[in-house]
Amino acid sequence: MAKTKVQFWHAMSGWRIDLLNSMAEDFMELHPDIEVEVQYTGSYNDTLNKLIAGIKAGTPPNVVQVYEIGTRSMIDGQIAVPMQDMIDQDPDFDIATFMPQVLNYYRIDGKLYSMPFNSSNAILFYNKTMFEEAGLNPDKPPRNYEELKQACAALTEKDKNGNIVTSGITWNLHSWFFEQMLAMQDAPLVNNNNGRAAPPTEALLDNEAGMKFMTLWNELTEKDYMINTKKEDWTGARKLFLSQKVGMLITSTSDVVAMMDGAEENNFEVGAAFLPTPKDSPKGGAIIGGGSLWLIDGNPDEETKAAWEFVKFMAEAPQQIKWHEGTGYFPVRKDAVEQLLFEGYYTEYPDHLVALMQLLFSKQDYNTNGAIMGVFPEFRNTLENNVEKMINGQLTPEEVLEKTAETTDDLLEEYNELYE
Amino acid sequence: MKGKGINFRKILPFLLLIPTLFVIITFIYIPAADSFEMSFNRENKFGTRTIFVGTENYGKIFTDPEYLSIFGFTAVYVGLTVFITVFLSFFLALLLNKNVPGSYVYRALIFIPYAVSPAIAGTLWTFMLDPVAGHVNYIITALFGQQIAWLTTEPYAFIALLAATVWKMLPFDIVFYIAGLQSVPDDLLESATLDGAGAFTKIWKIKFPLVSPITFYLVIMNIIAAMFRSFATIDVMTGGGPGGYTTTMMYKVYLDAFSYQKMGIASAESVVMFIMMAIVTVIYFIYGQKNVYYR
Repeated sequence: MAKTKVQFWHAMSGWRIDLLNSMAEDFMELHPDIEVEVQYTGSYNDTLNKLIAGIKAGTPPNVVQVYEIGTRSMIDGQIAVPMQDMIDQDPDFDIATFMPQVLNYYRIDGKLYSMPFNSSNAILFYNKTMFEEAGLNPDKPPRNYEELKQACAALTEKDKNGNIVTSGITWNLHSWFFEQMLAMQDAPLVNNNNGRAAPPTEALLDNEAGMKFMTLWNELTEKDYMINTKKEDWTGARKLFLSQKVGMLITSTSDVVAMMDGAEENNFEVGAAFLPTPKDSPKGGAIIGGGSLWLIDGNPDEETKAAWEFVKFMAEAPQQIKWHEGTGYFPVRKDAVEQLLFEGYYTEYPDHLVALMQLLFSKQDYNTNGAIMGVFPEFRNTLENNVEKMINGQLTPEEVLEKTAETTDDLLEEYNELYE
Repeated sequence: MKGKGINFRKILPFLLLIPTLFVIITFIYIPAADSFEMSFNRENKFGTRTIFVGTENYGKIFTDPEYLSIFGFTAVYVGLTVFITVFLSFFLALLLNKNVPGSYVYRALIFIPYAVSPAIAGTLWTFMLDPVAGHVNYIITALFGQQIAWLTTEPYAFIALLAATVWKMLPFDIVFYIAGLQSVPDDLLESATLDGAGAFTKIWKIKFPLVSPITFYLVIMNIIAAMFRSFATIDVMTGGGPGGYTTTMMYKVYLDAFSYQKMGIASAESVVMFIMMAIVTVIYFIYGQKNVYYR
């Protein structure tokens, strides 16, 4: 019998390629009649471009990993088989085992369009060894912006020429952190319930929550308490932290494993903490980041069925545990978390627990469920460009938010016109 | 019989051109026509929704202050890189044309950047210009006690990009100049020497005018290279930053097309670039044949 071929495109680089390949091999052992062709198709953005090319050429893949911010345009493009349709037809599949926080992100109008797969959010890593040397309590990471500034002041050291020897903190110049910091203060990013009640028409940046974080960013930069990287330079930020040039790093929880290993290699003790928030602001929570798996329409039914089996398999507890342990992306299922808990995994790796707890403590509402909009990539680039101008002293925090909101409103209008 | 033979001979070139034409039409003319058409549309990411917007895309780019500043930046970037590259390469070619021992080794070494792909070149420069662990800042800190964030601040990002682009384009020009200088007749230089011409006169009054066809060709080629091929270097080194400061027209097309999947705007931008390059090419064809004197 001929094998049914399933093409799976993903955007996970490095050691994660091998990990995904081995997971696909496990799947093929269980399903000898299905052959999964796993392909690393570059970054999320590259993968999306290849998907677009594939669809336009009439040769779409079966399963594609798409970043969370692509959700709206994937739905509007009407190129995918909604995951909900497959779930409804499959009595074996129990969606109730999934983490509600994850489902809340990916469910739009009560419908799940894609299968949650790799989920993360942002957390704070800090160098306990440097904390101690700077006279800070290594068991008390900063919890609010004031404490953060104080810690940065203690960690920052300059030579006689005014050059930075060590600095307080870094996060790579990425809009994602701004989005997370808004949600941590229970503030929305766009109107219409963060785009979840109806397509958004307006960006809601010019508020207290946005101002507080943007002002912090500006202040830390001006005082050299923070080293800024290039746009979306995750590696650069990690390097600054691991080389102990900065004492703290805000990055994705998917870096937990890399940070633990890196700290050991570089002889320092690393700690993880929740994201700091302004002292007097409302408490929100973390937004789910990462990616999910989409079933692409336009393929033979037989292939789509096989692809559904594969997607289902990837979201099962054993695979999610393997994925979690190998990367730091947290499991998208409750039963996977339970099992890890019973095995004592979180006692052994408390940093993983911190990442998970931050998510569990998060208030669940539209603000922390994350914004949904079709122009997310452009929004991010607009914000990042304006932040770069702020760092170069050309814009004030207020202007950054104003200008970004202005551009975003235009982008949203343009996008919505397409679907009128 | 004779008539038939002549006919066949007339047809033959066209027959031989067919394969090339086929490739050019499939991969250049059709996509070009497509993007011309697309420049009047707005479509969603996957091309499943398209609306006709007329000249709105063009109106948008020419009224967008960001695009106009990109236009200005591109002009400065292309102008400066071409100017520096041409003069520096002429100067280096003069040196390399001297029969010093080991000049072949130098020539080989200097040609290496041309063989490096633009993306790799960008990566190498990024390593060297790293503000913390880079070689360049190591030296600058040792000498002047200053740390410079080369790729993330103005105007250093531009300077870094300029250096990398010039470095990358130099070898091509040098090779052409060396070839040109070698064909400058020795007797001409000898007689000039006898007439009492100094080194300066010999270079600017004899050698430079004699290689002017090459200079003209190189200027055109460099403009094209700086306009189109510098994409990878920019992408790797600055990503068009900080704050869009080093975004060229080419990079903007890439951003709109492949980061935001706005094919309409991106197509309009590439049509604008097409028109600009068409003008450059026409100038080349007119002046390249008329105004530059071959000896």
